[in-house]
Amino acid sequence: MKFVVNSVKSGGCRLGVMSDFGLHGKKIVETPMCMLYTRRGSAPHLTADMLKKIQWLPPMAQMSVTNMIEHHEAIEAYKQGIGKFANMKDYIVYTALHDPATEVMSGQNDTATVGVWSKSGKVRLDVEMFVKVQEAFKPDMYQALSDGDTDLKAGKKRTNKSVTRTLTYLDDILERLPKSQVLKDAAIFGVIEGGNSEFERCRSARETASRDVAGFVIEGFHNQGPQTELFKISDIRDIFKTTLECLPEEKPRLMHGAFPPDQVLEALELGLDVFDSSYPYHVTERGGALVFDFVHIADPEDMDGNKAVQKGWEIDLNDKKYFEDFGPLIEDCSCYTCKNFSRAYINHLRNTSELLGSVLLMIHNFQHYFNYFEAIRRALAEDKYEQLKTHITKQKKYIRLLTLTFILSQTVYVAVQTESGLRQWP
Amino acid sequence: THALSLRILAECKTTKARTCKLHLPHYVVDTPVFMPVGTQGTLKGLVPEQLEELDCKIMLGNTYHLGNRPGHELLKKAGGLHNFMKWNRCLLTDSGGFQMVSLLKLAEITEEGVKFQSPHDDSEMMLTPEMSIQIQNAIGADIIMQLDDVVHSCVTGPRVEEAMYRTIRWLDRCLKAHQRPHDQNIFPIVQGGLYPELRKKCVQELIKREVPGYAIGGLSGGESKDDFWRMVTLSTEYLPKDKPRYLMGVGFAVDLVVCVALGCDMFDCVFPTRTARFGNALVPTGNLSLKNKKYAKDFSPIDDQCPCSTCKQYTRAYLHTIVTNETVSCQLLSVHNVAYQLTLMTGIQQSIVEDRFPQLIQDFFDKQFPDTDYPQWAVDALASVNVNIKKS
Ligand SMILES: [Zn+2]
Ligand SMILES: [Zn+2]
Repeated sequence: MKFVVNSVKSGGCRLGVMSDFGLHGKKIVETPMCMLYTRRGSAPHLTADMLKKIQWLPPMAQMSVTNMIEHHEAIEAYKQGIGKFANMKDYIVYTALHDPATEVMSGQNDTATVGVWSKSGKVRLDVEMFVKVQEAFKPDMYQALSDGDTDLKAGKKRTNKSVTRTLTYLDDILERLPKSQVLKDAAIFGVIEGGNSEFERCRSARETASRDVAGFVIEGFHNQGPQTELFKISDIRDIFKTTLECLPEEKPRLMHGAFPPDQVLEALELGLDVFDSSYPYHVTERGGALVFDFVHIADPEDMDGNKAVQKGWEIDLNDKKYFEDFGPLIEDCSCYTCKNFSRAYINHLRNTSELLGSVLLMIHNFQHYFNYFEAIRRALAEDKYEQLKTHITKQKKYIRLLTLTFILSQTVYVAVQTESGLRQWP
Repeated sequence: THALSLRILAECKTTKARTCKLHLPHYVVDTPVFMPVGTQGTLKGLVPEQLEELDCKIMLGNTYHLGNRPGHELLKKAGGLHNFMKWNRCLLTDSGGFQMVSLLKLAEITEEGVKFQSPHDDSEMMLTPEMSIQIQNAIGADIIMQLDDVVHSCVTGPRVEEAMYRTIRWLDRCLKAHQRPHDQNIFPIVQGGLYPELRKKCVQELIKREVPGYAIGGLSGGESKDDFWRMVTLSTEYLPKDKPRYLMGVGFAVDLVVCVALGCDMFDCVFPTRTARFGNALVPTGNLSLKNKKYAKDFSPIDDQCPCSTCKQYTRAYLHTIVTNETVSCQLLSVHNVAYQLTLMTGIQQSIVEDRFPQLIQDFFDKQFPDTDYPQWAVDALASVNVNIKKS
């Protein structure tokens, strides 16, 4: 894989291009980019035919080792890689270690292995097994084995351990790679750990950068899952910046997790290039439709007259107020859902727990979020990023009280979002 | 002066089977036809377009469920169920009575209607024949059903006779209440339990009324298959040939093939889509349980003869990794299972046109029962229409 940063724009946002992928040599990926989030190789709720209805689909799909590890022998026997196995052969495949939409259980890793949970129980993944699984999956890009089991509260010992282990795994993998015919064209991403310790972060970044990796995954700030939506990039701005300064400019940086629209921009300004789309997935799971506006960026003067900014990020299709609302999710949205179905119908589908509700919301939410990334790239290229950012920030300010209901391991949490951002739920 | 016309294209020279063009307000349906069931205005996560690609021309909605949620008033405002769910082809709705009696514990039938306790609060409610029609008029399906007095098919004695006569009285109330005869077709329902005399009497009464088609009800509820096929063939014997006959709640492949031979034109059943949710795919040899480990490395499609988009794109091995884990598998298997049912029916239509339906029956049974352990009821039923299936 090749990566070129074409320009660094206002605030530090990078415009780049990835190319020369292993199995998909001719594909070109413009960054900032948001990969297609998948579960067991398929876009959530969407068959390949339905997925095709979405516009602005990214050329790259993110799959995860955890999702599919119990099937690696079948995929190995299939011989053509996980992308084709899952009927996603047109996609550049990036394999992450964990599913970004599922919280990773803490305390599962040791010096030699990382514990991953599959349907049939815990699997101890050592480097040998890891390489074997990747050889079966045949990704274009993959995240190296890592111990990312830290968060902002992790102690010194734990962060030190996670950095050391992750480097050891990486060295072990790199040592095995020359023997692997299959993985010779696959791009390996080194993983930067270190929790909230600036010292460990810089050690991790410098050491990883000195090895032969194609890009970097920034991990160890949180344990993934739906609650990453509440994670505030601003809380880690300084340490993040320092970390990225230790990395070479010409390699892509990727971070897993759910990024609401304003967080995407904050992360971009710190120099992140690649994201996943677990955010629109979470929104879909709770019955929400993304409605934040990035299309009608008005002149700065009459921004207040712009009604579009008063809705917040999403609307809740479980809400009775849509019972008789025969309009689309967004009036001028060009997505398949909005062109064909009404809020009232989707409200009915949510009310009756019908699967089609998730299908229709997933289509709209994916398209909206991918289109947002397209808008960001365009705004950067046309030097209109500041206007876009003001427009997004404006909408954030209108979210005075937004109730998000997450179903997290059978428990209902309620988060209250205020002007200052999301607060921890009671 | 009905919103329906039936043109018989061909009749089987051996059995009572026929193939017809059934012109309905929204589309032309080829019979014999299988109608998938989209209970609440949607079918297992599929969009209408996917059903059109499968060449599905008519599907079902359930009045009881739709009357509850979103309610007939909303459906009326939405311009009918067609508009609400964006399905431009034909719809059929049941009366709501059957589901009330089978789903609600406290349902009680009086001359007035079906009395039941509201599922939302404990208030007592009543579904009268008039209300059933009013709701179905709001839903706007191409074919609607009369409210009938449903008796479990294992009930015997005077209750069956009472229900049969009440069904006829209710039919008259339904016909009177029907507001849209110009664009909705109401079907009466043949009742009479497992009593040939009652069934015959019922048909004789129904055919005195001016109705566009007929349904055969009160079967497929746990009675013996032997009783089942005898009641079916008796009903079709007395029904007029120039109107469609709809056998309610029947949809297993074997039953479809036999009952087409006995002269039925329309069928519905939740089984193909319900079984998809549990990871089962229908194939000419029966069904595949894709959860089974033996498919983990099976890189062939569910059925290499199947024209559906699932079989064109997905392997059994991949489906094995997602069945019952990812909702996508439910849709992929629903697409295939509906395709299986529809392909079976188009094959039957074709064979009737070419007058080789008896041969199709033999081939079908050979695949389903490779050990020639044909069910005796099917052998008897087919023999009654001059088809003697036998070991080849
Ligand atoms: Zn839309
Ligand atoms: Zn198929």
